Amino acid sequence: MVIYTRGGFALPETSLASKTGTWRLQRPVHRHSSAPCHTACPAGENPQAYLAQVAEGRWREAWETLVAVNPLPAITGRVCDHPCESGCNRGQYDEAIAIHNVERFLGDQAIREGWAYPVTPPSVNAHRVAVVGAGPAGLSAAYHLCRLGCQVTLLDALPEAGGTLRTALPPYRLPREVLAQETQQLLAIGIEFLAHHALGRDVSLDELCTDYRAVFLGPGRQQGREWSVDGRVPADLHTGLRLLQEWVAVGTIPNVKSAAIVGGGNSAVDLARVLRKTGAEVHVITHDALPKLGVPPEGAMKAIPREVKQAREEGVMFHEYRGIQRLILRGERVVGVEMVHMKKLPRPDGSIEIVPFEGTETVLHVEQVIPAIGQVVLATGMERILEGSPFFTVDLWGHVVNHPGVFAGGDARKGSRGTVSGAVGDGRRAALAIDGYLRGAEASEHRAEAIPLESLNLNYFEHEPRAEEPLLPVEQRSGDAEVASGLIQPQVMAESQRCFSCGACLACDNCWTLCPDQSVLKTKELASDGSHYVFDYDYCKGCGLCARECPSGYIVMEDELLFAGLT
Amino acid sequence: MSDLAETLMPIAELRRNQPRFRGLEAGHLACLGCGQALAARLVTEAAGPDVAVANATGCLEVFTTAWPQSAWRVPWLHSLFENAAAIASGMEAALKAQGKPAKVLAFGGDGGTFDIGFQALSGMLERGHNVLYVCFDNEAYMNTGVQRSSSTPHAAMTTTSPPGKARMGKRHLKKDIISIIAAHNIPYAATASVAYPSDIRKKVRRALEIDGPAFINIHSPCPLGWGHDGSLSIEMARLAVECGLFPVVELERGALTGTMPLRAPRPVTDYLKPQQRFAHLFQNDPRAKEELEHLQALADHNIETYGLRGERPDPLDSAGADTVRRGGVRWA
Repeated sequence: MVIYTRGGFALPETSLASKTGTWRLQRPVHRHSSAPCHTACPAGENPQAYLAQVAEGRWREAWETLVAVNPLPAITGRVCDHPCESGCNRGQYDEAIAIHNVERFLGDQAIREGWAYPVTPPSVNAHRVAVVGAGPAGLSAAYHLCRLGCQVTLLDALPEAGGTLRTALPPYRLPREVLAQETQQLLAIGIEFLAHHALGRDVSLDELCTDYRAVFLGPGRQQGREWSVDGRVPADLHTGLRLLQEWVAVGTIPNVKSAAIVGGGNSAVDLARVLRKTGAEVHVITHDALPKLGVPPEGAMKAIPREVKQAREEGVMFHEYRGIQRLILRGERVVGVEMVHMKKLPRPDGSIEIVPFEGTETVLHVEQVIPAIGQVVLATGMERILEGSPFFTVDLWGHVVNHPGVFAGGDARKGSRGTVSGAVGDGRRAALAIDGYLRGAEASEHRAEAIPLESLNLNYFEHEPRAEEPLLPVEQRSGDAEVASGLIQPQVMAESQRCFSCGACLACDNCWTLCPDQSVLKTKELASDGSHYVFDYDYCKGCGLCARECPSGYIVMEDELLFAGLT
Repeated sequence: MSDLAETLMPIAELRRNQPRFRGLEAGHLACLGCGQALAARLVTEAAGPDVAVANATGCLEVFTTAWPQSAWRVPWLHSLFENAAAIASGMEAALKAQGKPAKVLAFGGDGGTFDIGFQALSGMLERGHNVLYVCFDNEAYMNTGVQRSSSTPHAAMTTTSPPGKARMGKRHLKKDIISIIAAHNIPYAATASVAYPSDIRKKVRRALEIDGPAFINIHSPCPLGWGHDGSLSIEMARLAVECGLFPVVELERGALTGTMPLRAPRPVTDYLKPQQRFAHLFQNDPRAKEELEHLQALADHNIETYGLRGERPDPLDSAGADTVRRGGVRWA
C-alpha cells in the first residue's frame, strides 16, 4: 500500500488506473473501403494497394500484388484505357495519379529482373482444364486456374500467344518484345501451350469437353461485321481489322492518297494512324463524340482518348457525329462519300436511335472507304454453343448459359467493351468460377462501393502535379518506335506518394499524433496491409477527432451499443 | 492482416514501447476532444524527460492529477493560480544551485497567464530565468465554468459576457499577450496552434535550446466552452489560423522573426459559425452583422500587421504545414 505524505504526491502515470474508456458512446474503428481506382478497374486490380507498396520501396511485393489479379501489367500498362485514373479521387483535387505508368513500370521491371510469378506448380493429379485462345482473356484464365491449382492446357490457332494483342495492335503502342517477354514468362509458370491448334480444325469442342473437366473459351472477335451503304459495297472492300492484321503481320498497307475509315473504336484509330504514316490523307467518321471534357464515356468514341489525341497530333482528321449516307462510285470504284450529321437521340420508349439531319450532307473525296465498325465471334468449332448468335451469352462469372462446364469471356462475350483489362477480368472471374465448379462451390467476390472524395480530409494533402510521360515527337512517329516512353523510377515513386490512399491506412501518424488521450498506439513503422495503429479502448473516450482528421477515410465512428450487444 | 497480428503485443506493453516520449499519459480526465490535453501532450513529448514542470491551477492541473493519481511522467508541481511563473523561477534557481541540467517548464491557462499569473510571469521574464512558459490558450476560464478572461475574443459569449440587449457577447478585445511578452525583450516568444503539431514541436525544441526565458502561447480549442463537437477541435484550431484571428508568429528580442503565412485566408464566419459561443452573431440582428464585420476587420488587421498573406504556396504555410505523408514523415 502506498503511504502518502502530508504534502500530497502521486506516482507517475498512476492515472492509467482510470479507465476513461467507460465514458465512450462511440468508438473509432478501422474500416477498409474500396478506393475508386479499385472499383473502376475491369481487371479487378487494386492500384491503391500496390501504390502503397511502391511508396515504401517494396517494388517486387507491389508487382506481386498487381499480378495476383492481372498477370499482364507491362501490356495493360501500355494499352489499357485506364478507367482507374478516371475514377481516381485525386482527379477532383488536382490531377489523377498516373496509375497506368506505375503499372507499366512494375511490369517492365519484372521482365527486366526476371521475377517469377508467385505460383506453385500444380500437382500431377490436379484437375485438367482447357483454355481456348491465348489472348488476354485466355492468358488470364490460364494463369488464374494455375494459381488455383489446376493443370491448364492453352490452345491457340496461331504460332505464338497474344491473340489480338499480337495480330491487331500496332507495335508503336505495344512493342512486340514486351508482348513476347511477358507472355513467355507467364507461360513458364507451368501452362501447357499448344500452338497451331485451331478449334474445329485440329481439335473439336466435344473432344475438349471429354478430355478436360472444364473448358474456357476466349476466341475474341475475329470476323468483321457485314457492312454496306444501302446495300452497296465498294469493290475493294476490306474491313479495318483485316487491313490492320495484315499490316501487323506482313507490313502491307493499301497505297492510297486518301481514305475514310468508318468507326470510332481502337481499330479505326490504329488503322488511321498506320495509314497516316504512309502519307495518306485519313478521315475517321464516327457517330459518337470526340472524347473531351463533359462528354460522358457512353457518348464518346470507344477508342482510348490519348490515342485519339495522338492521332490528331499526327494529322488524322476526325468527323464526329457523322455517318455515311451514300457511297459515290465511279463504276465499282469509290471516289467519295456523302457524309451527314447524325446524333444518337433517346426515343420515348427508352431506346436510342441514330438520327441523320437533312440538309447537313457534305461530300468527302476519298479513294477508299474502310469499315471498322466492329467484329463478331468467328463461329468455327463453336457452332453448338453459339447457336447462331454473334457473341457468347454468359453471366458475370463466364458460365455459358445451358452449357455446364463451358465458360467464356473476353471480347467474345456479349456486352464486352472490347478492352484488354476487361478481358483479363473476365478470365480471372471465369477461373474462380471454374474452380468453384470443380469443387462444387459458388464463386463470389465482395465489391464494395468506392469511397467518395468527401470522406477524405483534404487539409492534409498538398497540390502536386502529375508526372507526364514523354511522347515521341510527331515527326519521329514513322516506324515501330513506341510513342509513349513511360516514366522513370523517381517519377513512379513520386506518383505513388501522391496517392490519397482512399479508404486504406496511409500510415501518416495523424491519429497517433492528434489523440488527446494517448489512446492511439502505433504498432509498426511501415506496413501496407491493415493498419499501423491500434485503439486502446481502455482509455479512448470516443471524441471522434481521429476519425474526423483521418486523411484517407480509414477511421469511422461506430455506436458503442453495437459492441455491447445491446441493440 | 498477418503483419498486424505478428506485431501486436499486449496493449500495455505496446504502450510502453511507443516510439515517442509519453510525458502525459492516458487515463487523465479531460473532456472529449480536449485541445489543451493534446497541446500538453505534444509539448511534453517534444520537451522530453529531462524537465520539471510547474503547473498553475486550471483544467490541466485538475484533469491530470485527480488525487491520488497522476497522468504525468515528469516531475510536476502544482502551484497556485497566480504563481506558476514564480514557482518555476524558484525551481530553476534550485536546479541551477544543485548543478542539475534539467530544464524547467511552466504551464498555465489563459486565465493563469493573461490575468491572474501575469505579474509573476512578468517578473520571471524580467529576471531572465531559464524557463519555458507555455500558455494553453482556450480563451476563457473553462475550469470554473466558462467565465470571460482577458483572452476571450471580442463578441464571444461566456457566462460572464452573455449576449443580450446591452451587448453582443464580450465587449472588450482579446489581449495582445504576445506583444506584451515580447516587450520584455526576451530571447524567444511564439504562438502556435494544436492544428499544427509539428510546428509546436519545432517551437518547443527551439525554446528549450535557448538560455533564458521563452514563452509559447498555444491556441487550444475547448469543445465545451466554445460549444462545438469534440471531434472538431483540430478543425476549429485550423480555421482560427486560416482566417487570421489567431496569427502564428515568432518574436525574438521583441522583433518579428517568423510567421506562418496563410495560403488562402478564409472568412472569419467559417471559423465562427460552428461555435455556439458565437451563435448570437448569426441571428437576424444588425448588431450581429456589425460584430461579424468587426471580427473580420480584426482578422484583416492581424493579417496586415504580421504580413500573413503568402505570396506563393509555401510548404510551411497554413495549407502546407500540416501535409502528411506515408510513414509519418510530416511529424519529424
